[in-house]
Amino acid sequence: MTKEERLKKRHSAEKRFRFYGLASIFLALLFVLILVHNIFSKGSSAFMKTAINVEVFFDQELLEIKNGASDDEILEADFFDITIESLIKVYPAKNVEEEDALIELFTTDAEIEIKRAFLENNNLIGKKINLEITASDDIDQLHKGNYPRDIPEDRRRISDFQLVIYDNLVENQKIIKNFNNYFFKNGDSRDPELAGIGGALIGSFYSIIICLLLAFPVAVLASIYLEEFAPKNKITDFIEININNLAAVPSIVYGLLALQILLATIQLPRSTPLVAGITLALMTLPRIIIPCRASLKAVPPSIREGALAVGASKFQSVFHHVVPLALPGTLSGTIIGLAQALGETAPLILIGMVAFVVDIPSTPIDPSSSLPVQVYLWSESAERGFVEKTSATIMMLLSFLIVMNFLAVYLRQKFEKRWN
Amino acid sequence: MELMNEIKIKSKNLNVYYGEKQALFDVNLDLNEKEVTALIGPSGCGKSTFIRCINRMNDVIDICKVSGNIEIDGVEINDKNLDVVSLRERVGMVFQKPNPFPKSIYDNISYGPKIHGKGETKSELDEIVENSLKKAALWEEVKDRLDEPGTGLSGGQQQRLCIARAISVNPEVILMDEPCSALDPIATAKIEELIDELKKTYTIVIVTHSMAQAVRVSQKTGFFHLGKLIEVGKTEKIFKNPDNKMTQDYITGRFG
Repeated sequence: MTKEERLKKRHSAEKRFRFYGLASIFLALLFVLILVHNIFSKGSSAFMKTAINVEVFFDQELLEIKNGASDDEILEADFFDITIESLIKVYPAKNVEEEDALIELFTTDAEIEIKRAFLENNNLIGKKINLEITASDDIDQLHKGNYPRDIPEDRRRISDFQLVIYDNLVENQKIIKNFNNYFFKNGDSRDPELAGIGGALIGSFYSIIICLLLAFPVAVLASIYLEEFAPKNKITDFIEININNLAAVPSIVYGLLALQILLATIQLPRSTPLVAGITLALMTLPRIIIPCRASLKAVPPSIREGALAVGASKFQSVFHHVVPLALPGTLSGTIIGLAQALGETAPLILIGMVAFVVDIPSTPIDPSSSLPVQVYLWSESAERGFVEKTSATIMMLLSFLIVMNFLAVYLRQKFEKRWN
Repeated sequence: MELMNEIKIKSKNLNVYYGEKQALFDVNLDLNEKEVTALIGPSGCGKSTFIRCINRMNDVIDICKVSGNIEIDGVEINDKNLDVVSLRERVGMVFQKPNPFPKSIYDNISYGPKIHGKGETKSELDEIVENSLKKAALWEEVKDRLDEPGTGLSGGQQQRLCIARAISVNPEVILMDEPCSALDPIATAKIEELIDELKKTYTIVIVTHSMAQAVRVSQKTGFFHLGKLIEVGKTEKIFKNPDNKMTQDYITGRFG
């Protein structure tokens, strides 16, 4: 082979490599785009909900309470009759069946919504006001265009009569889209229009905080001891290998461990963020120790020697010099470990967080859901309304993860830049 | 012949092992007070290992074992019960590569006094910082930017900062491990000038690869080869008329 040929071959090898590299980056980006597009196109509509403008007359005869009643009295009172009376006036119904069909257009919580409006302003007796009552899941999906109306009536959840009412309401501009506060405020529900991630958000928040409080100090102290103080011998080698192995153990194994020890033996309350947090802490511990040790290792030995040479003790050289320098790496490793824990599903399913929980947890020992488990639960539900909710929950989860990862990068860059 | 100063550090039958490998063989070396002793020899001959025994810096290395005696002012320091912190307060060290802490210039100097409880008040600390920097001939260059990072200084300034840091705890001995090997000739000249000044107050041991530097700064020179102290004597004598053939060969550049 001549020199020119070799040169040509070398150049073309380099060109080929560049092409492969670009192609794989392009492919990866394409997949990300498809994923993001899929989630956004399905999920973005979940942040709006459909409501129907209803005129409500607070008829003294139908209500047992008077103006100026206390909140407790109002909460006790029966608003069912006025609710029905108001709802069936939306469209002229001829018989009871038609009235039922009419009522089905609204959420099952219509009575509660009317009561809430009354609670806010309790001198409404004898007055007429317009309220935006949340529509049922079927109307919501129909209005968002997710529900086909051209299939035979017996295969539809919405009857022909209901479609007529719907069209009439649209024509009279009675159907409104507004911000779906239920999605953020409410717990889970069997009715998609009422279901929200409020409970899951709080559950995930508590779990992650408990995970952080348990895993971070233990991981940091373990790393500092192993890296700076422990003698280098067979025992510490063995511990190091096992920490690396633990980081690779499938998360479901931690779930089984928690099931056996935390739930069966210690009898902690199941389905709670407390147990979830402990389980996630076990799982996250090695995943924090590894980056933490790496960042301690990255501190140049000359800094330790410098401190020792002016007469700092081992402890002082570590805690005055090495640890502060390793902190940015440690923090970003911790945040990335927590981000992984936030998205973890399998161990939480095993400890019972997959239970159907309607209430918003007020303490970490209340039964609760969590974001990834909520995704899993809703993705299995049959109702059409849960499809968009699943994707919207994934959007929330992804945005938390992105924020956490950005925070990790930001912290690392900000504190590492300072002295360079 | 002029009189030598009093002996400050005395090593007797000093042996050092790194695991299986022996790095120093029966080194007997006396270092005089308020004098500069240069240690020369080819790479890996044990000069650095020797000075790291004087402030017990070898303790940091797990596999390093030291046997034999080192006395400072007649007190044995190679003793398990000796507190290395107070030893290192008396024996400062400057390293091959400048290693200021990634903190401000002020904090670099004040760190040592703070941990040893010298300079209780801010004004006392200010004074220590100023004096240390002045002694290290750095004060004029940095007095207006004491709160800037020490790592932002030039290489020569960083090394003088490290010298100031060593001085700040008011030691009796300063060990210098090739302090100029990472510096340019101008910065080197400044450090050498400084060493000349410092020997009035401190006992200095300097490891160097530069024969010229040894001649310029030291009064006494020791030549190491393969872990053994081959020859030691007044610098003038070592370089003009060494007793040992190997010393002769090394200083004339025939090996090394």
